[in-house]
Order: sequence, then C-alpha cells, then structure tokens
Amino acid sequence: MSATLLPESDLSRARDEVATCIRADGLGPGLHLLTLEAPEAAREALPGEFAQLQVVPGPLLRRPFSFSGVDPGRGTVSFYLRVYGEGTRRLAQLSPGSPVRLLGPLGRGFSLPQVKGSSLLVAGGVGAAPFPHLAGQLLARGERVRWLNGAASADQLFPLGLLPAGLAGSLQVTDDGSSGRQGLLTDALAELLDGVDRVYACGPNPMLQAVAEMASRLRPEALVEVSLEAPMGCGFGTCLGCSIPLLSQGTAVPGLCCRQGPVLAADQVDWEGLRRQPSHLE
Amino acid sequence: MGGEVLVGRGLTLESPVGVASGTFGYGFEAERMGNLAGLGAVFTKGTTVASRPGNAPPRIAEVPGGMLNSIGLQNPGVEVVATEYAPRWRGWAPKVIVNVAGSTIDDYVRVCQRLDPVPEVAGVELNISCPNIAHGLDLGVDPHAAAACTRAVREVTGKAVIVKLTPNVTDITEIGRAVQDGGADAVSAVNTYLGLKWSRVRGTPVLPGSGLAGLSGPAIKPLALAAVARLVAALKIPVIGIGGIASADDAREFLELGARAIQIGTANFYLPGIAASCAAELQQGSGTAHRAERR
Repeated sequence: MSATLLPESDLSRARDEVATCIRADGLGPGLHLLTLEAPEAAREALPGEFAQLQVVPGPLLRRPFSFSGVDPGRGTVSFYLRVYGEGTRRLAQLSPGSPVRLLGPLGRGFSLPQVKGSSLLVAGGVGAAPFPHLAGQLLARGERVRWLNGAASADQLFPLGLLPAGLAGSLQVTDDGSSGRQGLLTDALAELLDGVDRVYACGPNPMLQAVAEMASRLRPEALVEVSLEAPMGCGFGTCLGCSIPLLSQGTAVPGLCCRQGPVLAADQVDWEGLRRQPSHLE
Repeated sequence: MGGEVLVGRGLTLESPVGVASGTFGYGFEAERMGNLAGLGAVFTKGTTVASRPGNAPPRIAEVPGGMLNSIGLQNPGVEVVATEYAPRWRGWAPKVIVNVAGSTIDDYVRVCQRLDPVPEVAGVELNISCPNIAHGLDLGVDPHAAAACTRAVREVTGKAVIVKLTPNVTDITEIGRAVQDGGADAVSAVNTYLGLKWSRVRGTPVLPGSGLAGLSGPAIKPLALAAVARLVAALKIPVIGIGGIASADDAREFLELGARAIQIGTANFYLPGIAASCAAELQQGSGTAHRAERR
C-alpha cells in the first residue's frame, strides 16, 4: 500500500510458528544471544531478514529482530539482542523449553553478490545482529569477508568466536580503548575500504549515515547496504507505524521499514529526514 | 453464531467476523500471508480524496494492554483504490468495505461518489471519527454534522453505508440516532479512544505534536462493550462491534450482547491469523453450545 516504487518484501514466505527456546546466553551488559528451535524459519530466513517475536505473558506487540544465526540442519535460529524494555527483558530471561511465537521471515534482506569479490561488514554495537548469518552466506559463496565492529567498551563487542570461521580480517574499535583500537568505528573505516566491492552496515543511524557518506566518497563503485530499524507494530505492512524517509528516483517518499527495508541501499535512504526523527528507544 | 449476517441494504456477510480499518491495509498483505479465509468483511484503510503521506514518525507507542497510534490517514487516495486496488479484490470471499475519511462533508461525498460504480466495493464505512487529522473529529462529535454527512453520502451511493462512531463524545447514542435518521444502514463502534503516553526522558509526549493519539487493543474492550450495549438498546439499525477483540470468545461477547457483526483490529498486528481463526471457530458453532451450557 506504500506509494513508493521501491520493491517490497515477499510476505508469502512468512510463517507464524511456535518456536521453543533452546538457550539464552548473556554476552555482555544487557546483551544476549537467544537461540530458538524454529524449523520453518530456519529453512527460509535469508541474511538481513527479521522475525517478530512474542512472549506470552508479555507485552502486546511483538518485537522485531534480525536473524543472527540460522542453522537449517538443526532447525534453529538465533537472535542477538540488547535489553531496552519489557519485551527484550522477557526474551533475555527465557528458560530452555519456553515457547515463543515467531513470525518470519519478514522484510527485505541483504543482496548477495552474483560474482565473487570483497565485502566489508560494519557493525556498531548490537548492530552486529544480522552479520553472523550474512558472513556465513558470503563465505559459502567464496567471498572475501572482513569484519569491523565498534562498541562503547570491550564487553559490548560481538564475540569474534561466534562469527563463522574464514574471515579475511577483523578490526575491533572501542570508545574507551578497553579492547582493540580506541576511537570511533568511522575513524577506522577509511583504511578498510580499499578494494572493497560491498559494504554492509548495521548500527545506530548516525553511524550508518557516516558509513554511507564515507563509502560513497572513498569507494563510489562499492555497493553500500544498511539495515535500519523503526518501531514496528506488525512487521508486515499493515499498521504503517514504521514509516521511514526514503528516496525513490531522487524524490523523498515515506517508506515502511518492514516492507521496503530493513535493508536498503544507502542511496535509497533520506538520511537528513532520518536524522530529524527522534529515537524511539527511550 | 458464526453464519451469514445481514448488515443492511442487502449487504450480507458470510461471517460476522470482519477486520477493522487501519489494521489490515487493503487486504493484500493478508492475501499474501494466507489470512483471508472465512472472513466476512475487510474494512479497508481510511481512504481520502487525494493521497496522504501520513504523519511524521514516531506514529505508534505501546501502552499496557494496547497501543496508541497517530498514523495520519496515510493512503493512496480514492482514485488508486478504485482503479488499481479494486480489480485485485475480484473473486475474494470477504466483502470489501472501503473506509472513507475526510475533513469536510464534500470530501466524503466525492470519495463515495467515486466508489459507487466500482463493483468490487460492497459498501462504505464513514470514518467520521478519526482523531489523527485536524477537523476530522468535528463531524463525529456533532449530531447535526454527522447526520448531514450521512445524508449527503446516502444521496450519492446505492451501496451500504456504515457509519463508524467515535467514543470520544458525551453520549454515543445521540450520534448513533442522528446517523440512523440520516439514512445509515448500520453503525460500527467504537473507533479509538483518545490517549497520550508521556516520555519522562524527553519531558514531552512520546508521539509528536500534542501527543494525542488513538488508543486501541484489549485495554478498551470493556469500554467498547459498554458503548455497543448502549447503541444496541438505542438503535434500530445493526451495530457492528469493535474494540479490543482478540479471540473468538471476545467476539462472542459482542455478538451475545447484540452486535450484528464484529471487527477485529489491533490483534491483527500481533496475531496475523487471528481473524481467520475466529471466523472458523465461530462457524463451528461452539459458541452456541458454550452459551447453552452456561444457562
């Protein structure tokens, strides 16, 4: 129902299944990796797509999370999440065997390359969420994959051991220098863009905007895709709650994060419009 | 309890279970997800003369037992609905009833006039009660204006005319009687309640502007039941119950109270298959048995 000409997610692949919690591991302050048995989602979920999770009893609306890990063989999926409120708190506290309703896969994911090349994955904080799955798919295609992860401090970096083996390189950056290099992620970005064909980024909006600007300036021939987030009521395009400002053929249009996104080419995002939007995670 | 129902002017729904405007788009998402089966009616997103981009985000906020929305009637405008969407409804089992919104009586007339010759449109639901756009509320809180709007639309369409009532009035039956006198075939009630969520972090309402928004969800069910009970007692025309319905038992409460049909709203967001499953459950007639047992 959106007026944009941008492509929309394929809702026919989404299933509403009752998943079972396998484990919920604490990975840092407020950071958790939730692993669910969800055979249908595990068969279908592509990198960058998301699921709407509902815990009962819990908040009314589901909460959207990118698929972090997907194991079709075991029938499991995992989600890397940060506790912000009631919904995420309940998910982080799930005990093994607890049921969780999972609607997915939803949204449009990352575009996977048709020809081999070099990819840089750029993750800010909990924005690491979609990348284990993406890295696995890229490596399986013979892609050269490098990893750049920034966080406030060492305990908020995504554990390197949870990324698939075979990365061509990784760099960690922390605000306080407690691990890796001290500084901002974008300070380290410039030196990693050389020879890159694809940049995939997820994190806070200001970081994504900076990554998009730097990449288009220093590596204009590279594909740059970003994974955005917005408060979502439904996740499949009917509540119109997750409006995000997009550009279609250069014209500003309201889009839906859940249908045209969450992954968008950086030049499809109206960054200035996005910057004016207040944060919803307060 | 789950069979065919007549909601006015020859408009028969195969099930009393419908889906509320603004919670189901124009039905295409549910079609893709396989969630249309068994529904009596799809009440579309509020449709205006011209397209509207909707309000600036954030547009929704969760509250205990419900949610607030201030979408601002984002829609593609009636021309797109009539020419591009309607052909895609051909062959659907649920009747499609287009929810119509505007700021003036003339807006409602123009949209209904445009939809009158469209065969896939089974009826119109006049949203004289959207709290999210300036002036839209005035028609719904003034019995004379509500009646005049209904009468004006009645003159330009042969389709069933349902008027959706706001609960944000002193006496909802006064507006109900006015639109009944104006020629409405049925009323639907209730639209959202005015609500506000405050952010102590920002020191402002969570939603933009005044922060006033529409409250929906299970939290409003007792309020909606009260409004529907009063309307059923006061009106001769059918009442379609809306408000916090999230299960077949919730639907039965409204139907037992005297509602001719019901609409499921906010629950469609977190349980996308709920309307279809309620329709199936009601069709099986378990509600009647349950009711008999209890007596």
